[in-house]
Amino acid sequence: MQLQLKIWHKMIIGIAIPSLIVLVGSIFTYEYLNDVKDRQEFVEIADDIKEDVLEIRRNEKNFFLYRNAEHRDNVYNAIFILKNTISSISQEIIEDIGQEDFSVLNESVQTYTDYIDELYESYREETKVTERVREEGRKLEDSVAKGRRAGGLTTSFVLNLRRLEKNYMFFRDKRSFLELHTALSELGDTAPGCTECISYKKAIGDLISAYSKSASVEKKLQVTGNRLEKIALKIARRERQKIKSFITVTNRFLLAAVALLCLLGPFFVYRTAKYIVTPINRLSEITKRIAAGDLNVRAPLKERDETYSLALSFNTMLDHLRERENQLIEKEKELYQSKKLASIGILTSGVAHELTNPLNNISMIAQTYTELYDKLSREDRLAFMNNVEKEAERIRDIVRDLLDFSKPKEKSFREADINTVVEKSLKLVQNMLDISNIETSVTLGSGIGRVFIDEHQIQQVLVNLITNAIQAMPGGGRLYIETGLSSDGEFVEIAIRDTGKGIPPEFLPHIFDPFFSTKGVEGTGLGMSVSYGIIKTHKGNIKVQSKVGEGSTFTVELPVYRGDAA
Amino acid sequence: MNKQYKIMVIDDEKIVGDMAKMTLEQDGYVVETFLNAAPALERLKEEKFDVIVTDYKMKGIDGMEVLRTVKKLYPEIVVIMITAFANLDAAIEALRSDVHDFFPKPVKIKELKASIQRALSKQK
Repeated sequence: MQLQLKIWHKMIIGIAIPSLIVLVGSIFTYEYLNDVKDRQEFVEIADDIKEDVLEIRRNEKNFFLYRNAEHRDNVYNAIFILKNTISSISQEIIEDIGQEDFSVLNESVQTYTDYIDELYESYREETKVTERVREEGRKLEDSVAKGRRAGGLTTSFVLNLRRLEKNYMFFRDKRSFLELHTALSELGDTAPGCTECISYKKAIGDLISAYSKSASVEKKLQVTGNRLEKIALKIARRERQKIKSFITVTNRFLLAAVALLCLLGPFFVYRTAKYIVTPINRLSEITKRIAAGDLNVRAPLKERDETYSLALSFNTMLDHLRERENQLIEKEKELYQSKKLASIGILTSGVAHELTNPLNNISMIAQTYTELYDKLSREDRLAFMNNVEKEAERIRDIVRDLLDFSKPKEKSFREADINTVVEKSLKLVQNMLDISNIETSVTLGSGIGRVFIDEHQIQQVLVNLITNAIQAMPGGGRLYIETGLSSDGEFVEIAIRDTGKGIPPEFLPHIFDPFFSTKGVEGTGLGMSVSYGIIKTHKGNIKVQSKVGEGSTFTVELPVYRGDAA
Repeated sequence: MNKQYKIMVIDDEKIVGDMAKMTLEQDGYVVETFLNAAPALERLKEEKFDVIVTDYKMKGIDGMEVLRTVKKLYPEIVVIMITAFANLDAAIEALRSDVHDFFPKPVKIKELKASIQRALSKQK
């Protein structure tokens, strides 16, 4: 026998699977939400980096403008803040940002710092050179003013040169450079061999190269700064992008989990309910059939679950029930037979009397025959013997009826006419009625349809009811027997009414109970319950109406036979 | 046997009447038979009978009623009762109503004849 899941297990599975879906969904959602929280942190850090870088760039501009140590330190501070931010980044975030981008960020910061240093050095060099240019400029001015280098040099030319020098220092652009350059070429042409002029020119040349170096470092710094800014923005943007897609995925996952739950939940609940209900329904179906009286059904032992033992108990119960029923049928048979014997006892006295008449007739024929033998004609003698034969037949018929009534019989249902059955029953008890001084009034309805009965049993019931009626009228009376159709036309009714003592109302409800008797020692009490049982097996009814002092009416109802053999 | 006595037999069993008539007529009685009591009682108004043999249990008017009626109207008529059941109560009741004899069935015809003879001789 295959082992099947028990209902309990099925229920657990039915409940566990949807629960598991919810649990898994919840865990994943929780994890995702945690991730989103981490992501938030990443985004914040990315934003910090971006802010730090922008702060550096702002300070860088100031540094470009003021070119002094103070602003360089400001840049340093900003770099320091950025470095702090970077160093606080966990390995996890680094992995998330990407090792490559992180390295680029770090390198860029380092390079940037180096360039700041270089630029500062360059600015210091610039300052020194600027001082020298101013020194040389002043020397040139002095010598022109003192006229030592009169040559072609004029004070206004030198002053203009100094103005161009200042312009160049201030603007550092191509135009001011070209103007200064032109003026310096003129200076070389107008005052060759002027040492101050040569020193000044050399100082200006140094200034130009210092400026160009600063410019190139600035350029490199800006490039590095831009790269730094770009990478910071890239990281920040990517983190935002990631968190966005994370939320999207989480949303989709939750949606999928809910959809799965909506789809699978009812399915599993339905399956579980079905698993549980199916065997119960099967048993319920069987109980219905049992209730309808079919004791041959057995619960199928299909599944080895909780209903298996139930079905097993059910079947055992059914076995017992059937056994009991068989015993009951056996007892009923015995009871029926014993009641019949009791009836036979009552009948016998009637029959004995009935036999007396034909016996007497035979006896008298025989006596007359003997006495008048010689005087009798041949015809007379034959007539005598014919009469003897007839009377013997009468005796045989009486005996046969009694035997027929007393013989135990197998149940045999057949179509019958109730009036015939009533007449036959009446014939059996006629003599008793005569003896008991009871007049009978029989009204047999015509066209009342036929019944499907065990004639012998119904006869037994009628004899029993008539015998009771006789016993209810010890001083004689009238017995009314009527047959007819019920008002709804579904039943054939046989009413047996006596004018006897009647049954007290408190006895009426017990009249069909076994061993209930109103007749004291005379009755066994079994007659009514046996009659009741017989009528019930015919799907009929037996009813009683009675009034003390007026008599009782027993009405037997039998279903009209419509050709559908039951 | 100088006087012809008249005997009436009432029994719903035809054979009883027939056999009684055959044997009693052999002894010189005049016998009339009836299957039930009503016409028999009517007949009594027309003709005087000496003996009435009646069955006890009959449909309609039964033997006891015949006995009572006859004893009331014609007390001199001898009534002999025959019965299919040896019922002591019935016998006592009949004797109280002055029945001459009481025979259970099956009837011994010789005894019946003797009883009739006895009654008639007593009457003389």
